[in-house]
Amino acid sequence: MHPTGTADQPKGPASGPRPRPRWWPRFDSTLRSTALTARLGRALGIAIGISLVTGLLSLYQYEPWSWLPALATPAWGYRVTQGVHVAVGTATIPLVLVKLWSVYPNAFRWPPFKSAKRVLELLSLTILVGSILVQLTTGFLNVLNWYPFPWDFVSVHHYLAYVVVGSVLLHIGVKLPDIAYGLQTKLPEGDVLTEIPWNENPESHSIAGDQPPPVMPGISRRGVLTAAAVGIAAVVVTSIGQALTPLERIGLLAARQPSKGPQGVPVNRTAEEAKVSASMIGPDWTLQINGPRPYKLTVAEIEQQAVHEALIPIAAVEGWSVDASWRGLRLLDVVERAGGTADSHVAVVSFGAGGIRRSQIFGPQLSRALLATQLNGQRLSLDQGYPLRLVAPNRPEILSTKWVSQIEVL
Amino acid sequence: MGIWRLVLGILGLLVLLYGIVNLLIDVPIQTLGWVTVWLIAAVVIHHGLLSPVLVAVSSLLRRLLPDRGRRYLQVALVTAVPVTVIAIPMIYRQGSQPPSKALLLQNFTANLGLLLGIIAVLSLIGYAIKVTRDRSPTRGGPPST
Repeated sequence: MHPTGTADQPKGPASGPRPRPRWWPRFDSTLRSTALTARLGRALGIAIGISLVTGLLSLYQYEPWSWLPALATPAWGYRVTQGVHVAVGTATIPLVLVKLWSVYPNAFRWPPFKSAKRVLELLSLTILVGSILVQLTTGFLNVLNWYPFPWDFVSVHHYLAYVVVGSVLLHIGVKLPDIAYGLQTKLPEGDVLTEIPWNENPESHSIAGDQPPPVMPGISRRGVLTAAAVGIAAVVVTSIGQALTPLERIGLLAARQPSKGPQGVPVNRTAEEAKVSASMIGPDWTLQINGPRPYKLTVAEIEQQAVHEALIPIAAVEGWSVDASWRGLRLLDVVERAGGTADSHVAVVSFGAGGIRRSQIFGPQLSRALLATQLNGQRLSLDQGYPLRLVAPNRPEILSTKWVSQIEVL
Repeated sequence: MGIWRLVLGILGLLVLLYGIVNLLIDVPIQTLGWVTVWLIAAVVIHHGLLSPVLVAVSSLLRRLLPDRGRRYLQVALVTAVPVTVIAIPMIYRQGSQPPSKALLLQNFTANLGLLLGIIAVLSLIGYAIKVTRDRSPTRGGPPST
């Protein structure tokens, strides 16, 4: 039985539909049901929860607090969390569309603005639907490096996430009795969700007592769930190859193909975009290290000291990632020679224009960081950050500063 | 359940307000205007365009096709929606990026065609099996429609 007393519905027995215009939409499909919606909503809630946690983690990785430095182990940490964030976010796009399809008749209650409470609910639903659609769309557009929206992606994506999550929590609170009913009811036996609220609908299966399950001549409710799940799984399997290297071959919907990047690693910001040219790094170029004992390193000295090797994956906020082998100088050695220690905060400054020109590194990542001169057995190309690139385990690609021009021990 | 509803409602409102206040602080007001335009446009496009088209298509299918065949077509269409929705922006943007980004280098039109082809073939096979079984006198099961 459907619970009584949901927030937006009058209590008491069925009173029959109120008179409404003939042209008002009528939904007679038996497919939609609170039982179906609740299951879709549960999946959506889990997906949004995962996106929130992995998203906040990514934000923290961007700017870790001084008292809680970002970890350096596992080296593939950001690879997993951000890969999951983008994969789940992408999967959520079709999921939310199916969820919205399942409740579409609710938008056609008659009368549309019955009470102040209903108007408030419609307003909150508009915020919920609008924010989740914009959040998912712009997130996916960011994966594609496509910015048709006139705002800073990171701050809007960050704070809009709270708008989404807040609206979802509010929505769950309002709909909790319906959710409980939906999840406790067998899928084929659940009520028929139409534009008439269940307790005003004499044909509703939830108030009509014991009667046979609604007839579904076409696809079944389970069929909808299964088909949508298969479609969504197909999206995940064919796009996750941009992070899960063995699946790159079947990455029909993968935005990135890591193996096709120069030196086996895709580039997020090209030298041209960063306005860096080879002429800026002539034979006389030196790396300036500032600190208690400032000094300079020539190209010859850098090449001579670049003997340390490490396997450090590159993982980007756009969800792609790839293993890479690096050779270079230990950043900590460079820092210690300038009078710093493993506890120092170090700024790494880039030639590049725009983007993050100066990234900070401290804590465990500083101890494990390399100033790389070689990537996968070759001298760094200009697009990969020649002459020097900062790499550290479990560090977002955008903070793997390329075209390093200066080190500052703070 | 009442207390949970209250807790979720209040918590939701607080988180929602936190988001809105921070947007107001962090994002210039004119830019925020554009965010609002996008939010409203998303609802209008979904509720006013995509959903009515979907409702029209499904009622057309109901009128034109027998139930048994329609069932398999519906399964195919529901499965096809996720891959199509994701592929469309990629098709629109394919080849737009510098090659060194290794981004959007694929022919996503062909890739989408392949995925839709696989879905179509599998659905047809399922339908063919169903038709054969329904015709088979040895099974004696009730017809599906």
